[in-house]
Amino acid sequence: MARYGMLIDTKKCIGCYACRVACQRLNDLLPDENFIRFEEREEGVYPSVAVEHVPLQCMHCEDAPCAAVCPTGAAHIGADGIVAVDQGRCIGCLYCMAACPYQVRVRNSETGAVDKCRFCVVTAHESGTQTCNCVDACLTDARIFGDLDDPGSEISRAIAETHAVPIVADLTKTKVFYVR
Amino acid sequence: MTFEPIWDVIIACYLFLAGLGGGAFITSAFLRWRHPEAVNMIRIGRVIAPVTVMIGLVLLMFDATAGLQNPLRFALLLTNFGSVMTWGVVFLGAFMVVSLVAAALDLTHRRVPLPLDLAGAALGLCVAVYTGCLLGVCKTFPLWNNAMLPILFLVSAVSTGMAAVLAVAIIKHPEEFNRVGVLKKFHFCLPIIELVLVASLLFITANTASVAGWNSVMQLVAGDYVLAFWFLFVLVGLVGPTALETWLLFFSPREFEESRRAHWISFASDAGVLVGGFVLRLLVLVAALPVTMTVPWL
Amino acid sequence: MSEKTLTRRTFLEAGAGLAAGAAVLGAAGVAGTAGAALDPQVAHAWGGPVVTTAHSLCNACSSKCGFTAYVRNGEIDTVLGDEGHPYAKGKLCARGYGYLQIATSEDRLTEPLKKNDKGVFEPISWDQAYAEIAEKVQAIIAADGPEALAMVQDPRPSGKYYTKRFMNALGSANVYTHGAACNLSKEAGFTQVIGTGNYSSDVASSKMTMFIGRSYADAIRPSSVSALQKAHERGARIVLVDPRCNNSIAFADEWVPINPGTDLALLLGMSHVLVTRGLYDAAYVAENAVGFEEWAASLATCTPAWAEGITGIPAATIERLAVEFADAAPAASIEPSWRGAFGCAYENSGETARAVCLFNTLLGCWNQKGGALFTPSVSVGKLDEAKFPSVPKPAAKILGSEEYPLSLSNMGSNVYAAQMAHSGVIKGMFFYNSNMAAGYSNTAFLAEALSRLDLMVVVDVQMSETAQLADYVLPECSYLERLELPEFIGGKVPCVTLRDKVIERVHPETRSCDEIFSELARACGVGEYFDFTVEELADAQLKTVGLSLETLREAGGTASFPDAAFEYGKTPKWKTPAGKIQFTSEACAAAGLSPYPVWVEPAVMPDEAAGTLRLVGGKQAHMSHTQTANIADLMQITKDYDLDRVWLSADVAQRWGIADGDEVLVSNECHEGRVRVKVTQRVNPTTLFMPSHYGCSSPEQRTAYGVGLCQMDFVPFRIEPGYGGICSQEALVTVKKVGA
Repeated sequence: MARYGMLIDTKKCIGCYACRVACQRLNDLLPDENFIRFEEREEGVYPSVAVEHVPLQCMHCEDAPCAAVCPTGAAHIGADGIVAVDQGRCIGCLYCMAACPYQVRVRNSETGAVDKCRFCVVTAHESGTQTCNCVDACLTDARIFGDLDDPGSEISRAIAETHAVPIVADLTKTKVFYVR
Repeated sequence: MTFEPIWDVIIACYLFLAGLGGGAFITSAFLRWRHPEAVNMIRIGRVIAPVTVMIGLVLLMFDATAGLQNPLRFALLLTNFGSVMTWGVVFLGAFMVVSLVAAALDLTHRRVPLPLDLAGAALGLCVAVYTGCLLGVCKTFPLWNNAMLPILFLVSAVSTGMAAVLAVAIIKHPEEFNRVGVLKKFHFCLPIIELVLVASLLFITANTASVAGWNSVMQLVAGDYVLAFWFLFVLVGLVGPTALETWLLFFSPREFEESRRAHWISFASDAGVLVGGFVLRLLVLVAALPVTMTVPWL
Repeated sequence: MSEKTLTRRTFLEAGAGLAAGAAVLGAAGVAGTAGAALDPQVAHAWGGPVVTTAHSLCNACSSKCGFTAYVRNGEIDTVLGDEGHPYAKGKLCARGYGYLQIATSEDRLTEPLKKNDKGVFEPISWDQAYAEIAEKVQAIIAADGPEALAMVQDPRPSGKYYTKRFMNALGSANVYTHGAACNLSKEAGFTQVIGTGNYSSDVASSKMTMFIGRSYADAIRPSSVSALQKAHERGARIVLVDPRCNNSIAFADEWVPINPGTDLALLLGMSHVLVTRGLYDAAYVAENAVGFEEWAASLATCTPAWAEGITGIPAATIERLAVEFADAAPAASIEPSWRGAFGCAYENSGETARAVCLFNTLLGCWNQKGGALFTPSVSVGKLDEAKFPSVPKPAAKILGSEEYPLSLSNMGSNVYAAQMAHSGVIKGMFFYNSNMAAGYSNTAFLAEALSRLDLMVVVDVQMSETAQLADYVLPECSYLERLELPEFIGGKVPCVTLRDKVIERVHPETRSCDEIFSELARACGVGEYFDFTVEELADAQLKTVGLSLETLREAGGTASFPDAAFEYGKTPKWKTPAGKIQFTSEACAAAGLSPYPVWVEPAVMPDEAAGTLRLVGGKQAHMSHTQTANIADLMQITKDYDLDRVWLSADVAQRWGIADGDEVLVSNECHEGRVRVKVTQRVNPTTLFMPSHYGCSSPEQRTAYGVGLCQMDFVPFRIEPGYGGICSQEALVTVKKVGA
C-alpha cells in the first residue's frame, strides 16, 4: 500500500493563500476552518531582507500525537497511514489540538468537532488519483504529493534531489517534507 | 498568526476543581489517620470531593461541544487506553463512585470502611497527578512537556484540597480547626514546596531547545501575564499564605492562634491558596506557547 | 486539461461516496483543445447526482481568468482554472476560489432600492425605478444637455459595451472607466512615447526584467506568476523597485527599496548612464525615434549621484543596474506595470511612464525576444447595422479632455467628473461595477461631490460605499449568473473568451447589466439601439471572427487565433503623431509639461524632521481593491494573520518606540484612524504601507465593515496635471503609538 506524503518547497512559495482557499472550497470548509497555516519569516536587515513563507498542515505523522491522545479514537491513523478524524466520534475535547506540535488542527465552529488536512483522502483512495487540492491549486508548483514508498515517484525523487526534510527534525515522524 | 490558547478558563476550572476534589479526599484520609476525632472536618472533605469533581466534569462536558451535541459520543471515551484522558476518565469515574459512597455513608452516620478511604485517597492522588499528566504529554508546549508539571499539580491539588477543608472548618467547626495541628503544619509546607517546584519548572522550561519555552516563561514573569503571575499566584497564592501561617504557627501566642481573629487570618490564607491554585492552572494553560508557532525555529 | 478535469471530477463524485467508473476516464476523449466540458450525461451515467459543467470567467479581478465550474444541484461544487485560458493556464488564485461566495453572500443586493426623503433605502419595483430614473435623465438633458450626464464603470465584458452604448445613445460622451484611479497615467504616458497604452514584457524569456511598483505575486495573474518563476529558474535577473519588499521577492534577485514617488529620478539616472557611456542601442534609436538629442542633453545633470539624493538608492547601484540592463539588452525591459507606482500615484506618474518607455527604447528591446512586446489582438468586425445599429457619436467630447489633454478618451479622468459633479456641471451619474466613493480619491470630497448630483444610480451586487450614496441602487446578478459579451484578449496568440452563466439566479429580482442598461435605454426613449439580446449580440460578434456562441462554448470557453500570432523581431508601426517613438512630445509641451521627461517632484514629500511618512497603498494576493473584502473566506485570511496592519520600517519604529502589533494613530489633514502595526525590515523608512483593501464603511457589508483603515480617507483630492490621474499616493501621514 502506498505511503502518502507531501513535499513543500518554501523557496517557491509566494504566500498567496491559493492553496488554503482552494482546500476550503473543494473540501467544503467553513471560512474560519482552514487546514493550512502560514508562518512568515523575515530575515536580515533593511535593505538586505529575505522573506520565507512556510505553509504548515497536518504532517500525517507515523507516530501521530493526536491519535495517541485522542480519548475516543476519533483521531486515528488509517490503514494507508493517512491521519484522519472520524467526525462522528469526536467529542471536541481539543486534546488533539493541544497535542499537535504543528498546531494545524482546527475546530469546526458549527459541529464543535476537530478536523485537519485529509490529504484529500478521497482522491487518493477511491479514484486512484494522486493529487491533493492544494497541490493542484499551487500556482508555483511548490507542492508535490505522492507515494513515499515508491522510489520512482515524483515525490521520492524530489525529496532525494532537494534533500527535503521534516519541518522540525525529530519532533515526530512526519510525512510532509520541506525544502527550505 | 497570533496563537490563541486552546484551553482557557473552563478547562482551568476543571483542572483546579478536579485537583481540589482529589486533595480534599486525601485531606479527609489524612485527618482520619492523624486527627480521627475531627469527624466534622473529615466529613467536610468527603463532601467537597465529589461535589467539586462533579462540577469540574460538567464544565468539561460543556467545553466539549461536539460531545455535548451528541452525548452518546461520550461513551467512546474509554476506547483508547493509550490516552491520558481515557485514564483520567477511569480515575475520575472511580473516584466519583468511591467519594460519593464515602460521602453518603458519612452523611448517614455510618462508618466508612478504611479500605474505601484508602482507595479514595489513592484515586484522589491519581486524579491530581492526571491533571498534570494530561498537559505533560503534549510535546507542543515546553511549559507542559516536562515531569515537573504533574508533581506541581499534585502538590497544588493537595494544598488546595486542604485549604478548602480548613476554610470550611473555620466557618463551620472552629473548635475542630484548633485541634488539627499536624494537618496545618503539613498544609503550611505545601506552598513552600510549590514555590520550589514552580521555580524549577520555569528554569527548565526557559532552557528547552525551543524558544517557545523561553517565551512562555517570559510571558509569565515579565510579559502579558506578569500581574497575574506575581501578584495573584506568587504573592496571594504562595508567599502570602506562607507568611501568614508562619506567623500564626510559629510566632503568635497560642491564645491568639485560637482566637476568632486568627481564624479569619487563616481563612484569608486558605482563600489565597485557592486563588493561587486556580491562577496557576489558568496561567499554565494560557501562557504555554507551541514550539511551531514562534518563528525562530523555522 | 481533460484528464485533469476528470480526475478531479472523480474526486468530487467520490466525495459523495460514489465509486468512480473507469468508463469516465475513457470519456476524456471528448475534450477539446482549450478545455473540456464534461458531458452532464456522462456524469449522470456515472451514478451520481447530475453534475453540469460550464466554462466562464472569474470576476475577482480585471484579469478575468477562465475556469470550469462544476455545478451540482444548482450549486457550485468547485471551480478549476482552465488550461487553455491564457491568463489562468490551469490555475486560479485565492480570490478566484473565494469570490465564488459572492453569489450566495447574505449581503447581496436583492431588489431595486430607492433612497427616500429620510435618506433610507426602500425597495421599489424595476418598472418604477426605470420610470423615475428616465424622468430625471430626461429632465437633466432638457435643462443642461446630455453632457451633464456621466457614467463611471470598471470595464467588464458586457459592461464596457452596454454602459458606453447607453450613454452615447443619450448623447453623452462622458463614459469614464476606473482608469484614472488605476492605470490612466501609465497608459497615457506610454501613448505619448510609443503611440499605444500598453505593452507586455517577455519576462519568461528575458535576461533581465525590472518591476517598478508591480508585484506579480501580490496582484496575481497565474500566467504572470508562472512567467516570473520561469525567468527566475532560468537564471534571469529580476529586480524589484518598490518601497515595500513585496512577495515577488521569492523569484527576484534584488529588492531596490526606492523612496516612493521617485522612480522617475531612478529612470533618468539609469538613462544617464546608458547615454553618457554609449551603452544604448544608438542604431535603434536613430532609426525608430525622434527627439533623442534633446532628451539626451537634458540627462547631463541626471547623474547617478543626483538620483541617489532623491531616490535613496546608492549611485553605485543605479550605475550597476544600468550596466546590467545594457549587458542583457535586448532581452531585457522594464515591465510596464499596472497600477503600481505610476498608474495613478503621483504628480509625476505620466512622466515616469514616458521615461519607462524611453529607457526600454534605449535598450532596443521592442518586440525582441525577452524584451518588451506589442502582442496582437483580434477585435469584433462589422455587425449587421439593421439589427445592431451604430449609435451616433456624441457632439461633445468627454468632459475633461481639454483640462487633461493627455488623458485617454477611452478612460477619461473620473475624478475630474467628480469635480464637475462637485461644481454642479455634471448633474446625473451612473456607476457600474465601480466603487468610486471608497477607492478613487479622497472619500470625504467624493461623498460631498456625489451628494450634489440630481441623480445618482448605482448598479452593483452589494452595498458598496458608492451605492450607499446613490438615489437608486439597481441589483445586478453576480458574474456567475449571467452570460456576457465575448472578451478578446491580446497575446502571443490572441484569443477570445466567454463569461457564461454557471448557475441560475439566486435572487429572482436581480438582473444582468445588459438587461438593466437595455431596459433603462428603453425607458429613456433610446431603446432602438438595444433591440437585441446579449446572446444575439455575442453570437453576432463572434461570427465576425469566424466563431459563434455555440462553437466558443464547445471549445471550452476559450478559442485562440493562431493565424494572428505574434512574431519576434518585427518593428511595430508607431502610432504616434510623429510616426516614431517620441522622445519629445508636442502634446506634452502643449499640456504645460516638458517636451521630454525631466524630473518632476511629487506634490508632497515626507519630512523626517516633521515625522511625516508617505502613505503608500498596495495589494495583497487574496484581495482585489475593496471588492473582495466582504468575502468571508478571504477576509478570514486577513483576520487570521492581521493583514490589515500598516507596515512601518523597523528602524523608524524603534526610534518612535513602536513595537510590532502596537496600535497606532495614523493621521493627517484629511483623516485619522487607529490600526495595528507590522514592524518590518521590508519597507522603506520614509513610507507607511497600508494595504488598500480595508476600512469598509458600509455596514451592510457585514464581513468587511470596520476592519482596518481606508487609504483613500487619508489622500487629499488632487488630479495629476495633464494626465488626469488621482494621485493616490500624494499623502503624508504621521504615526503615533496609541496611549504613548
